[in-house]
Amino acid sequence: MSTKKIILLLAAVVVICLAVWFAFVLFAPAGTIAVISIDGVEYKRIDLSRVKEPYELQIETEYGRNTVLVERGAISVSSADCPDKICVFQGRLTEAGLPIICMPHRLIIWIEGGDTDAWS
Amino acid sequence: MRGAKRIAFMSVLTAAALIVFIIEAQIPPIVPVPGVKLGLANIITLVAMYLLSRKEAGLVLLMRIILGAVFAGSPSSFLFSAFGGLLAYAVMCALKGPVPENRMWLISIIAAVAHNLGQMIVCVLVVKTPGILVYLPLLIVSGILTGAFTGVAAMYLVRAIRKIKL
Repeated sequence: MSTKKIILLLAAVVVICLAVWFAFVLFAPAGTIAVISIDGVEYKRIDLSRVKEPYELQIETEYGRNTVLVERGAISVSSADCPDKICVFQGRLTEAGLPIICMPHRLIIWIEGGDTDAWS
Repeated sequence: MRGAKRIAFMSVLTAAALIVFIIEAQIPPIVPVPGVKLGLANIITLVAMYLLSRKEAGLVLLMRIILGAVFAGSPSSFLFSAFGGLLAYAVMCALKGPVPENRMWLISIIAAVAHNLGQMIVCVLVVKTPGILVYLPLLIVSGILTGAFTGVAAMYLVRAIRKIKL
């Protein structure tokens, strides 16, 4: 294969991946239930539409510590003691969005769509 | 290169990879996507692959992963790093023969994508949440871009080291 063909092929893969990515972002499930899971086990469910005052949640496990900020309609990790702090940089997760992941602490926060009354 | 010189060269490569790895870990993430990083230490693995042998490159990589986890990571980051590293190493070993040296960037790209895929697989298995696979397309793109960069860097480094005739 010529170098030109390889580069074209790689460019095609990049374009396809970006298209799939944007499809994921556009069609992300909308909802108000935030689910926090640690090590694959559900830790807490919070209905973000029913949060009156913002509050902080301290999550401490054998892997490390994360501070989760819960606000009306949004959830974010405000601080963490992991080395990369990607979860903090990921910012606020609102009604539709991609999961916040703190891999070193095995913590995931995502928004679940569907009936909001079932978990109130 | 033979004997003690060879072992000394392997040690220098391991030390260089470890330093690059630790410095990179201190830099805040460029994009807020879990798993995306430049992977600069991969340059050293490629250099070892071309200037030494597959086996010795594997040893340099293994030492860097173990020492990297000790100095800049955690036990769980070791797991992700090790599985991704293993897949990337397997790709490099398989492609070193058929792909000519002036296309090192191509090997690097495929290895970087394999690394990101491996890491993703371990993540999904560990947290048992398939939902995080939404990040897979971005990790493939980042593997292609960072792999190209580290591959070109490794190619120039291999040429430069060959010139000084160790």
